[in-house]
Amino acid sequence: MDRRGFLRTAAGGTAAIALASLLPAGCSREYPQATGDNVTLKSLTAKEYATARAAAEAFLVGVPVTASYVASAIDAELAVAGDPMLTDFKTVLGLMEHGTLLSFKGKRFTALSIEARTRVLEDWATSRIKLRRGAFFALKNFVVYFAYAQDSTRALTGFNGPLRERLAVPAYPVDFGGIA
Amino acid sequence: MIHVGAGRTDTLREKADVVVVGTGSGGATLGVYLAERGWNVVMLEKGGFFRAEDFTQREEQAMADFNGRRGLDATIDNAVFLNYAEAVGGCTVHYWGDSFRAPGDRLERWRKEHGIDWMIESELDPHWAEIEKELGIHITPENLFNENNRLVRAGCDALGIEGHAPPTARIDCIGCGWTQLGCPYNRKTSQLITTLPRVSKAGGRIYSDAHVTQILKDGDRVTGVSASFVDRVTKRPTGTLQVDAPIVVLAGGALGTADVLLRNFEDDVVGKRFYINPHYFVWADFGRDIDNVTGIPCAYVVHGFRHVQRDAKGEYASGGYIMLTNHQSPAIASVMLNGIGAAHTEKMKRYRHLGSVMSVIDEDHPGRVFLDKNDIRRTEYNVRGVDQLKAVDYLRNASRIFLAAGAKEVIIPDVYGTTVRSEADVSRIDVRSVQPNAQFTAGSHLMGTAPMGTDATDSFAKPTGEAHRVRGLYVADGAALPGSVSVDPSLTIMGVARHIAAQMHTTHGRAGA
Repeated sequence: MDRRGFLRTAAGGTAAIALASLLPAGCSREYPQATGDNVTLKSLTAKEYATARAAAEAFLVGVPVTASYVASAIDAELAVAGDPMLTDFKTVLGLMEHGTLLSFKGKRFTALSIEARTRVLEDWATSRIKLRRGAFFALKNFVVYFAYAQDSTRALTGFNGPLRERLAVPAYPVDFGGIA
Repeated sequence: MIHVGAGRTDTLREKADVVVVGTGSGGATLGVYLAERGWNVVMLEKGGFFRAEDFTQREEQAMADFNGRRGLDATIDNAVFLNYAEAVGGCTVHYWGDSFRAPGDRLERWRKEHGIDWMIESELDPHWAEIEKELGIHITPENLFNENNRLVRAGCDALGIEGHAPPTARIDCIGCGWTQLGCPYNRKTSQLITTLPRVSKAGGRIYSDAHVTQILKDGDRVTGVSASFVDRVTKRPTGTLQVDAPIVVLAGGALGTADVLLRNFEDDVVGKRFYINPHYFVWADFGRDIDNVTGIPCAYVVHGFRHVQRDAKGEYASGGYIMLTNHQSPAIASVMLNGIGAAHTEKMKRYRHLGSVMSVIDEDHPGRVFLDKNDIRRTEYNVRGVDQLKAVDYLRNASRIFLAAGAKEVIIPDVYGTTVRSEADVSRIDVRSVQPNAQFTAGSHLMGTAPMGTDATDSFAKPTGEAHRVRGLYVADGAALPGSVSVDPSLTIMGVARHIAAQMHTTHGRAGA
């Protein structure tokens, strides 16, 4: 997908395109998180992984799922899903990582404290610019979805898990008329 | 015979009277009608073939297996999540089974505005009656009501708001709660386990994992389709299949059908009207455990607001939507609920305290489907104008119903953290909450992208379902509907598809015979 497609549809898109085109790619020396987590990346760069991981740390306060698990699950899913989701999400991560430069004295998102990252996310969520709100939702939805799909969160939510895992009820038989 | 196409590397050629692209509400209904009347039917499904034993009720697996784009599809600005299925059985694999006949007033509108003479209850009722019998559709019984359903009903009763239990497509349902993730018990009467086995037993061939890439033509007449067998996960092509047939029926859903048409025809109408019935999700905290994980998601429908009410000046005053009771598994609920960090976690800790409803907004302003410059299908949809007013009215009335039912707090899951504890709070809900990307919004009733009508400048297909400009090419799914049904469209789509099939059978006899 054309990375600009996502940006153009939202107010502020032109400025964002200009910004996104200037974003440095970064390298694994600057972003050692994936290596430190022993994750072999499938779709994201080391910088994008670090940004997703940093966002997960801010979103998942008190949730018994590690940020590294969530970031690696996002990486793995996007590798399979491909475009347009992959390029759109990479754009979101790039904008998030560098969108803090002006408001936080040159600091990138991944370099902020969790409290500061939370303030950034709140700022993006309530922004007057639709693009920022859209980026916020993309990031939030991915992070919480992959976290709460994990069995380790069941104690937190009180969810007992699918009934199928607790109660053996036979399926009604179906004759498909032959399967090849 | 059902042929699993995943990973097939061969080159196959089939001949049929009709090739049906898509196996959901429209395609399966049409396919079985023709197959049981002697037609040589081939059906192609882009998605995989999954059976009861494959439905683990685990969210990640279900979304990746049979939701379109692995459950990650959204409009281009990420403002609306698009929920649709790609699997043998189509949307009926994950739908809730709510089975409404299209309201008479909606049929009348389509008849008057689009010239579809047969859009009248006396024409469609016999088809609906037959389908209802075949799928065991019946009014949801009390034993499938969970506490959320009962609380919403109590709130409506207290306020004098009309609602009722919907007709539902299931037999001996055990109320496990997760119909949206596929029924592992074969109790939801999806097309997967009802009509498609009948197609198979009548001699039809159903190919899964077969992605149609080209509609074959000779002049202005179709001659068949070519398709690729695709890898189940990556969707990358592995083999090829060509089906030669004098009739091609597109029934891949509003997105799938539009996708095929946009790649094959220059047409100014395709994709220009994309209806989704926007869903906003309101949550209510009752301060105690309530059962909203068993039963069925929607055992109670609030119908009292379906019609738009206007003031003395003719301006919008209220209504234009229905509400469905709603429950969601934790991961999906976590996406829908608002908050960041600890605020979000606290809401998830109250998961078992939460009741919920969702809107089906009967929108005036559709979106669009198009191919971007890289030939990737994209969608644009913004809830705007009067549709925003309907959404606000819905948020307010949903809040009132939950307060009347005893909720301690109603959560409007917007980015502003709007909560409602009193009527004064209700009146403060405004359009800010329904701006694009102000709260999680979804669309699962996808319609109208290749609509029927008499005017070739405003519709893709004639009232018979056949394309205006291509002989032998039909549309028989949600794409063919001229607009929003205003209720869950699955039974309407089935009825319309069966009517189109009956017309085809009358017109062509057994094609190819």
